[in-house]
Amino acid sequence: MLALTTTGLLSGSALLYAQAPATRHGDAERGRRVYQVCAGCHSLDEDDVGPRHRGVVGRQAGSVPGYAYSPALRDSHLQWSPENLDRWLQNPQALVPGAKMFFALADATDRADVIAYLEQQR
Amino acid sequence: MILSDSRLTRREALHCLAFGGAGTLFALSGGVLTPVDLARAASLPGQGAELGRPLFVQFSDTHIGFHKDANPDVAGTLAASISLVNALLVRPALVLHTGDITHLSKPEEFDRARALFSHLRATELHTVPGEHDVADATVSEYFHRFGALSGGKGYYSFDHVGVHFVALVNVLQAKDGGAGFLGEEQRAWVQHDLRARAASTPIVVFAHMPLWSIHDAWGWRTLDAEPLMAELRRFGSVSVLNGHIHQIVQKVEGQITFHTARSTAYPQPAPGVGPGPGPLKVPADRLASVLGVSSVTLQRHPRQFALHDVSLA
Repeated sequence: MLALTTTGLLSGSALLYAQAPATRHGDAERGRRVYQVCAGCHSLDEDDVGPRHRGVVGRQAGSVPGYAYSPALRDSHLQWSPENLDRWLQNPQALVPGAKMFFALADATDRADVIAYLEQQR
Repeated sequence: MILSDSRLTRREALHCLAFGGAGTLFALSGGVLTPVDLARAASLPGQGAELGRPLFVQFSDTHIGFHKDANPDVAGTLAASISLVNALLVRPALVLHTGDITHLSKPEEFDRARALFSHLRATELHTVPGEHDVADATVSEYFHRFGALSGGKGYYSFDHVGVHFVALVNVLQAKDGGAGFLGEEQRAWVQHDLRARAASTPIVVFAHMPLWSIHDAWGWRTLDAEPLMAELRRFGSVSVLNGHIHQIVQKVEGQITFHTARSTAYPQPAPGVGPGPGPLKVPADRLASVLGVSSVTLQRHPRQFALHDVSLA
């Protein structure tokens, strides 16, 4: 799944840190299985529709060399902390309006498990 | 092709058929879906030829360039689908592709797809883009190759043996949850295009994302499709086709039949089942049964559309 928009810039991203909720620690093994749904657009080691995921936890958003980010994400100044990833996966357009990604994981456990899996992919 | 006298009235039943991977034929008549074993269908006089001559075949979501676990050989499964069509006793003149021809909109992916489709024994290939076909930075690769008929817009219409085909683009302005969107300009164009058609003209509308609501939370719908549906309701026979969801879902609403096609690349979960949409990994020996193509026939006696979905298994 992929959806494209070309407009919109994030403002006040620093505020997002202040509002970030605590994220429970997930089950990485279950997260590996849930991650299959991400495979339509993402890989660990190569750029796909979305950027490669290895090392994403802790990475600066919009920083994978060579990947064509939306201006919105590139200029978001977000760091992919577990908390911000949780917000992103819950509703990427709410976190970064104008980002390319629309896909969301509605279930909090699914999100926590995928983030735990990605934390292991260093 | 027996189409010149195929004016389908509002009252006539649509008869939709789908060959499932498990070998079941679904007959839909008067809004009732009836499964028929394929072996029984094969025992019919003419071994199914009485269903009519093929009008067109629908390919969808070929995703050339995808190479992950769900299907590391999408070129191979597309080639198998093409062979399936080429083996039909009566081959259709038209092939419709309902988008996601490629996975990443790369020139080499489009070139590979074109090379594969060159083996298809059909007269015309008509396409609409999927969101994976417009993922390049300049959104130009698809339109450079397939935009000639539409002046670069991507949406267009044409007639074939009395049937009016409308190709729509709903992947350029994604909305809530990734849902499709037609936009004001395209909706005005299609309204104008349909206005001149007699209500008796069979209509086939095709786009990538569903033009009807299948699962809103996953974006499996087109937000501004309702005015189009209102426009279509005056016609006696309408088929609305799409891809995107990589599985067969059908609905009949009045004289409008909605049909989503399988992918030739990989399956996706049933609407709302699991964490979200995405490639569904199935055992290798089951993959062919969940991939396939659709064909549509239109026959005179009784006058009806028939949709056939054929799996690769």
